Amino acid sequence: MSTLPPMPPAEARKPFLRWTGPLDLRPPPPQQVILLAVLAIELLVFSIIGTNFLTWHNAFDVLRVSVELGLLALALTPVIVTGGIDLSVGSLLGLTAVLFGKMWRDAGLPIWVAAGAAVAIGAMAGSLNGLLITRLRIPALIVTLGSFSLFRGLAEGITGGVDNITNFPRSFVALGQGAQVAVFVIAGLGFWLLLHRTTVGRALSAIGYSAEGARYAGIPVERRITLTYVLAGACAAIAAMVYVAHVGQAKADAGSGYELDAIAAVVLGGTSIFGGRGSIGGTLLGLFAIAILKNGLQLSDKPTESAAVLTGVLLLVAIGLDRKPFGRASSRSSAAAVAGDGSGLEELNMRNSQLAVLSIVILAAAFIVTGGNFLLVQSMQHELTGARTPSATSRQATGDPAPPPGTAVKPITIAVMPKSKGNAYFIACKSGAEEAARERGIKMIWDGPTDPDPARQNEIIETWLTRGVDVIAVAVENRGAISSVLRKAREKGIKVVTWDSDAEPDARDFFVNQATPQGIGDTLMDTAGQLMGGKGQFAIITASLTAANMNEWQKYIELRRSSNYPDIQMVALRPCDDLQPKAFDEAKTLLNSKPDLKLIMAICSPAVPGAAEAVKQSGRRDVKVIGLGLPNDNKPYVHAGITDAVILWKTKDLGYLTVLAAADLANGTLKSGAKTIDAGRLGKIAIKESDIVLGKPFVFTKDNIDQFDF
Amino acid sequence: MSNANLGVDPHLLASRRSPGFLSRYRREASVATAYGLLLLVLWCVGLRGGPTRAPSFFRSQFADTWISVAPLLVAAVGTTLVIVARQIDISIGSQFSVCGYVAALLAARGVPLPAVACAAIAVGGAMGSLNGVLVAAMGLPSIVVTLATMVILRGVLLWMTQGAAVGLPSTFQWFGQSQFTGECLILSIALLIFVIFAWAARWLAAGRAVYAVGSDEEAARLTGIRSPRVVFFVFLLTGMLAGLAALLNAARFAIVYPNDGYGLELKVIAAVVVGGAAISGGRGTLMGTLIGVALLATIGPALNFLDAKPQWEKAIQGAIILAAVASDGLYRRRR
Repeated sequence: MSTLPPMPPAEARKPFLRWTGPLDLRPPPPQQVILLAVLAIELLVFSIIGTNFLTWHNAFDVLRVSVELGLLALALTPVIVTGGIDLSVGSLLGLTAVLFGKMWRDAGLPIWVAAGAAVAIGAMAGSLNGLLITRLRIPALIVTLGSFSLFRGLAEGITGGVDNITNFPRSFVALGQGAQVAVFVIAGLGFWLLLHRTTVGRALSAIGYSAEGARYAGIPVERRITLTYVLAGACAAIAAMVYVAHVGQAKADAGSGYELDAIAAVVLGGTSIFGGRGSIGGTLLGLFAIAILKNGLQLSDKPTESAAVLTGVLLLVAIGLDRKPFGRASSRSSAAAVAGDGSGLEELNMRNSQLAVLSIVILAAAFIVTGGNFLLVQSMQHELTGARTPSATSRQATGDPAPPPGTAVKPITIAVMPKSKGNAYFIACKSGAEEAARERGIKMIWDGPTDPDPARQNEIIETWLTRGVDVIAVAVENRGAISSVLRKAREKGIKVVTWDSDAEPDARDFFVNQATPQGIGDTLMDTAGQLMGGKGQFAIITASLTAANMNEWQKYIELRRSSNYPDIQMVALRPCDDLQPKAFDEAKTLLNSKPDLKLIMAICSPAVPGAAEAVKQSGRRDVKVIGLGLPNDNKPYVHAGITDAVILWKTKDLGYLTVLAAADLANGTLKSGAKTIDAGRLGKIAIKESDIVLGKPFVFTKDNIDQFDF
Repeated sequence: MSNANLGVDPHLLASRRSPGFLSRYRREASVATAYGLLLLVLWCVGLRGGPTRAPSFFRSQFADTWISVAPLLVAAVGTTLVIVARQIDISIGSQFSVCGYVAALLAARGVPLPAVACAAIAVGGAMGSLNGVLVAAMGLPSIVVTLATMVILRGVLLWMTQGAAVGLPSTFQWFGQSQFTGECLILSIALLIFVIFAWAARWLAAGRAVYAVGSDEEAARLTGIRSPRVVFFVFLLTGMLAGLAALLNAARFAIVYPNDGYGLELKVIAAVVVGGAAISGGRGTLMGTLIGVALLATIGPALNFLDAKPQWEKAIQGAIILAAVASDGLYRRRR
């Protein structure tokens, strides 16, 4: 950005807001026409292949779960129209959620005052972005990249990552159970008025076309740009309030990754990323195109990842149909400024060659994807058949099993949810679950969030309620957040099983209890204590400082240490973001900075091989490694004597037992008050109250690890 | 064709003073100072005597940090070129994951090492050229294109792998050499790539063309540079470098997870930006990127050595990025 001349004084007298015209009778821009067509196709396809897709109830659900993302997308539209961008909105959502919770719980402010204060803080944080961008002339992408880390970091620092604020009053939680739609409608209307019906809105698109030209036209460019960031900050804070009310908790990781989804919705809606062109209507269309795609795919029993892939493809196709070739696009700013807001008509002129290139690219991408898929499926089947040999099953690996004779015509449908899908631990569970589903001849849906996200878990369960299933089995990410929706499921006559970790006892029929957090903490600390001979220093590598289950384990590790091993000290706790390379770096640094370290305890699965590799490479054979992880990932290190013990329950059995219990619950063989359950190949398993107890965590060592393959 | 002035801050050209070395490489100098100060602090902490044996940062950690930063450096070289050409690539983390996973799958099936290396780089090149075609030939905004490819690649990888890790054969680690040789190999490959690209960007016509396209595409076109072609090759190279980076990363481990590159794009972009490359294109040096990468990679271990709370690490990193760019902005305002 070059230096701009000073602002003419005449502007100061112009009114801030002014109605700029009656109804807009021009045809909608082509990208919105494309989006409308996409929406129509989605509705058509999903009403055919989805279950209970075209219902009012489902429409309301889609609307309800899109509010947080929608608020961010609305707030980002004016920002992007001016040619800026704000990557920090997701982090700011987390920061304001945490500050709001702190102000309400710790400072004792009345809840609505705290909410107001949080919105004010959001606006202030937004103005920090705005000031850095306009006063210091730093590109928005860089400023908000910095504040993206800063805001999330502050949220983590303030709460220590651990603190999870819950138990909000009922009147506030109601905001997240339907009332948020009203907030969203008001916000949408407000932004629509601002962007399309006031002089400010015209000024914003003028700035987007040419900031310099806008300056000459007497627009206070810097003030207007700052305004968009202040609004984005305030709106992120409002989204935070809705998020907290919806999920029932305020935690530092709230809204991680929302910024990219929101930007995708805005851009899909036809807002030019270079600024100047964009509309609230388009953003809403983009938002719903994505939301309906997600919802519809789920009601058609397609996995969550397919929605992400299709969203990306949709984004490419939508912008691809809406662009000029490169050479001419360079003079974009001047040409676009001349063409003005209604430049839509000429933009549909797409040359055949462009269309050809687009088709080739899509075909090539599809080819790469299928090629890769083929390779992977082959290798996975190879692994699977390798794993199957002991049980010697000749059944198909996937697909609906043929119901064995004697069962009902309509198979029982069981929906099983892991905490997150991309986690090797839950894959091992899945193979056990599939085995049980085959044995009982039932249909199993396996789906969950791609990253651990309580809001997304709720969303998926809501969709299952709409779809209609017989049993829901959930590995609960956050018990406060999920219990209300599980109660709703039970009211509808759907049986609920929790597994891996529990919800509130009245929100489920049974809990398949593999090992309590206390059991894990005690086993880890006892193993460590034995290996260390009762004294010395150790360090913990965890996934993230905000992961609820790991914080729980740490609590019990610390309790056990202080009561049984007073001579052992924990000298460091380092997060590794669930990434092996980062775990390796952290372990290396620990070995270098703490020369007296005797043991590293890695409590997330990629961290165990990461830490073991670090110990191996540094040649420090006096340092031992233990951790929670899958046996297969750690075999080489256990055999080499670097990792002394890997602790885990028999994951495959956990999935197996969960689905068996769910199936028995559905066909009536398992009733509340039962004392045992007949668990197929596991024999009879005892039930304590409503806990089906799988047993203690298992310690894999050099001697027994080769007997397991998962 | 006189391109000697390209790559220099435009306002330096506007002021009639001829830019001296220090003001031309102002950002590089200030980031290097920050890095030096950080090392000095760590050195002083190492000197601290007392009853507990204070570990020396330089004796061990310094070398470890540089080895583990090698893949990041290779990826950052590509990203610097992309940013200098006034584009952006946020799909690099997903590309890194895909390349690493493909390499691991091939290596696990006994494909010989050179073929694995070629395959990883070729897969990266294919993904990079996909971005390149969409951006250069179709004229689509790179931030949207790479946002889409990032989501698609990550989704496809997760869909197919379901997060399962692939074990590598023991012959793959350190490229089948001893650990020390392997470490030297990784570091020297990364530095070699860095030196080649730094030289090429400064002295080759192709390198200057990247700066020209980034500073003013229209002017570049008038001087006879075919901008779309330049942009395409920049994306192609970035993809190939992502493949190489993934390979260097995989060679350090015995197992590869499909999420290894998660979040890499923001780390790399932050390092490049701290190193002084302008997101508005045409300005930035690879030297700056090297220092930026070094500074950001040292903060984590430094906080560990200083016994800082890990909870604040992200906030400190964000503050450093903001401070680096704000100091630049303040300097520009004063002129």
